[in-house]
Amino acid sequence: MREAREVYFVDGVRTAFGKAGPKGQFWRTRADDMAVKAVRELLRRNPSLPPERIGDVVMAATAQVGDQGLTLGRDVALLAGIPETVPGFAVDRMCAGALTAITAAAGEIALGAADVAVAGGVEHMGHHPMGEDVDFNPRFVSERLIDESAAVMGKTAENLHDRFPAITRERADAFALASQQKAVAAWSNGVMRETVVPMAVFTDDGWKLAERDEFLRPETTMEGLAGLKPAFRPGGRVTAGNSAGLTDGATAALLAAEEALDEVGLEPRLRLVGYAYAGVEPHLMGIGPVPATRRVLEQAGITLDEIDVLELNEPFAVQVLTWCDELGVDADDPRLNPYGGAIACGHPLAATGVRLVAQLAYGLRERKGRYGLTALCIGMGMGAAILWERVG
Amino acid sequence: MAETVFKLRRAGTVALVTIDNGEDHRVPTTLGRSAFESAISVIDELERGDWTAAVITGKPFVFCVGADIDELGRVEDPREGIRAGHGLFSRIHALPFPTVAAINGACLGGGLELALHCTARTISSDVRHVGFPEVALSIIPGWGGTQLLPRLIGPEAAARVIVLNPLRQNRLLRAKEAFELGIADRLLSPVEFVDESLAFARTLAIERSDPDWSDLETGVRKTRAKVDDAVHGATRAPYVALDLIAGARDWTIDEGYAAEEDAMTELLVSPQARAAAYAFTVVERRSKRPPNLPEARPRAVTKVGIVGAGLMATQLATLFLERLQVPLVLRDIEQSRVDAALESIRSEVKPFLATIVDGGTGWEQFEGCDLVLEAVFEDMDVKREVLADVRRIAPDAILATNTSSLSVEGMGADVGLHFFNPVAVMPLVEIARTATTTDEQLATAWEVVRQLRKRGVLVGDAPGFVVNRLLTRMTVVLMDAIESGNTVEEVDEAILSLGMPMAPSVLREMVGPAVAQHVLETMHASWPERFPVAPATGGGRRTQEQIRDAALEAVADEVQHVLADGVVDDPADVDACLILGAGWPLFLGGAVTGGVVRT
Repeated sequence: MREAREVYFVDGVRTAFGKAGPKGQFWRTRADDMAVKAVRELLRRNPSLPPERIGDVVMAATAQVGDQGLTLGRDVALLAGIPETVPGFAVDRMCAGALTAITAAAGEIALGAADVAVAGGVEHMGHHPMGEDVDFNPRFVSERLIDESAAVMGKTAENLHDRFPAITRERADAFALASQQKAVAAWSNGVMRETVVPMAVFTDDGWKLAERDEFLRPETTMEGLAGLKPAFRPGGRVTAGNSAGLTDGATAALLAAEEALDEVGLEPRLRLVGYAYAGVEPHLMGIGPVPATRRVLEQAGITLDEIDVLELNEPFAVQVLTWCDELGVDADDPRLNPYGGAIACGHPLAATGVRLVAQLAYGLRERKGRYGLTALCIGMGMGAAILWERVG
Repeated sequence: MAETVFKLRRAGTVALVTIDNGEDHRVPTTLGRSAFESAISVIDELERGDWTAAVITGKPFVFCVGADIDELGRVEDPREGIRAGHGLFSRIHALPFPTVAAINGACLGGGLELALHCTARTISSDVRHVGFPEVALSIIPGWGGTQLLPRLIGPEAAARVIVLNPLRQNRLLRAKEAFELGIADRLLSPVEFVDESLAFARTLAIERSDPDWSDLETGVRKTRAKVDDAVHGATRAPYVALDLIAGARDWTIDEGYAAEEDAMTELLVSPQARAAAYAFTVVERRSKRPPNLPEARPRAVTKVGIVGAGLMATQLATLFLERLQVPLVLRDIEQSRVDAALESIRSEVKPFLATIVDGGTGWEQFEGCDLVLEAVFEDMDVKREVLADVRRIAPDAILATNTSSLSVEGMGADVGLHFFNPVAVMPLVEIARTATTTDEQLATAWEVVRQLRKRGVLVGDAPGFVVNRLLTRMTVVLMDAIESGNTVEEVDEAILSLGMPMAPSVLREMVGPAVAQHVLETMHASWPERFPVAPATGGGRRTQEQIRDAALEAVADEVQHVLADGVVDDPADVDACLILGAGWPLFLGGAVTGGVVRT
């Protein structure tokens, strides 16, 4: 059997995340320009890499139309000034878009098709509200292939509360509060300085620097959260406070083969140990990371106890709590989302994966840990998990 | 009209100021009264705050295009407006921290003066419009431009930008030229232009060399000679601007400002400046769709035929091929002429276009043409005959004629498309409609002219249309003078002293005396009294002033006839024709409404 090459994560960067809609900082900025900014920052930070040595540019977007269309990886590479000899393409696995971009690029690297690759994602949910222009096949409903609620992510979160009654509104709100508090601390820590690139954006108020996430709420309290109305079901438990807001953002990461690191002078930070995707019932999509996590741990032959940092996406507090309960991790385990999560920073669907990996690399270095896990749930009932090992 | 607002945001310790009018790039940002009020409040904040630097930039694709030309035309007290600009800009200049103008788009006139008052400038490499158009409008850059630019890039380069470029069809600078001249300190890529300008403002590493004033007198003399060649003293603005640039060597900046105030106070109310402001608006308006154009859908033009292979036909074929990029055929009675034309065309155009142009002596090749333009010599019978031949082989084609004076309908053409020589340079096309021109034919003619990137003016099917009719009427006066004892040089000088771009004798040589005579005869046939074929004698030798007055009087009189005959719908069309087709300078203002020639 032919041997696969080791794949390393070298660097990852993101724009600040903005609120989707006319009041958000990126409302008058194009999605592809945001991705270009992230890619150019990545190259600026790694000046020893000759851009023509990039083997592929893989960019994820859930809505692949308008300013996110035109096989985005290629579009972004050309706009970023990467030589035209470097190819690119677009991928979509909804919320796991960027993680899928990483694993797709990793596959190319492992098989020797590329030595270095850029992988990332962008989602301008202001320009492309989720599900807009989607034409659901009526068979899904007529044949009861999926429950109708599967199409609305907030409803799937309510479904999780139904399925796991032990996860109460109070637990969800407490998790959300902790996320906000950890994020406030993280913005005075070095992690955001290292992973977020400020971008000048044109707005109704003129040019400004988009340099902070617009979802930070340092003033959050349990009382405040308790007072919020359920957003998806009368009497429900999912609110704007314990879920991630609609977000504009872009990310980009640099991956390389072990064999290429020295040649192009790149310092690796993480080794990709393994990854897994899993499918679950679409109307309980939030549970997806549970089987994906189990599968990747089994592949690598390690246990959760050996993992030092866990970066889980937080579209809904209930979704993370489901994962915690199923895998036996405390919600306040210090390894879990040490810098807060999507509740406090936002979740630009296909872009989020790289944020998790970049923060994981920082967290493992800060804690001198060894293994780390990045995981996300995915619309239409899937989960993704990548296992990493710190190097250097 | 959108109001310009200065918007201040904080980027760390750097102030980020945007000049924005809330519209997209099609409505460029100008500096009017409201902009000043908003700028003052932003400068107040800059003076109060603990900033380490400021970056001033514009909305996407536009930095600032300077004073609002409409407002300029209405000013009651010019000195006050100029002083307000000096006051505002000198406050920017005096800020206690470095200021950077990040020139992200069009940067003209007062916009460039604002930028020059900053400590340094960055420019985005895609910017194509940087400059001072003031002198073309018979005024000067009065908000410090004549003083700061020579101090930055030296008097010679400053004179080129401020004085000479406006007289060369208002030539503007591209980003690279502005950078190489030293107007901008950094040439940056557009992709992260504002981010990189912020980074530049934080470090502000500038390398500049001192301007060279050593040979000011020679430079001024040379520039003045070029100005004389261009305007023959007919407008004061370029001379005044040159004096102000030269004065910058010895004046303090306040003395320079005062000199600008004096100069602008005089120039703004001059007839030339008022005429130029009017003419500028007329020409700009002509770039848009005229209200009298029918709503009909233009026909798609997928193949073009040109009848003739002479000098004019060759130029026309090259233009049509380059701009429409569709197969083109041309026809002449002699194959050798066709071959020469094809060779000339193919050497001018891109390789692919060279493969879709062909020609011969037969008519079959015109089959399938959507548009055929005849450009054979000015003989009614010949034109009638070739157009009939075309009509037989291409019955559906729109037949157009480039005739300069003959009846479009009389020769059997559908529409007139009268181009001016040299075709590549002259912007005007007189689009002549006849009583039988259909809406579709007219709409197609208009669309084709637009695609050729020319300025179309709709005219009636009257002998000489507008430009040749008026110029020929003027020529009659000039010929009379020569017949009565004036030299050709005296007549030329009389017309050049109006600021005309070309001496009448040179123009006549270019058009060809035979053609000019033919045009005169055509006009004579319709209006024998106003267009006598034989020059009148008597009255003796005239002074230059008499020649000039008589020429203008004749033009003014003929304009009345053009209007009375309904050749144009809007009197301003006459002015547009003279500016775009005869190259009359803006400061003459055409011949009807705002101009020096008044009726």
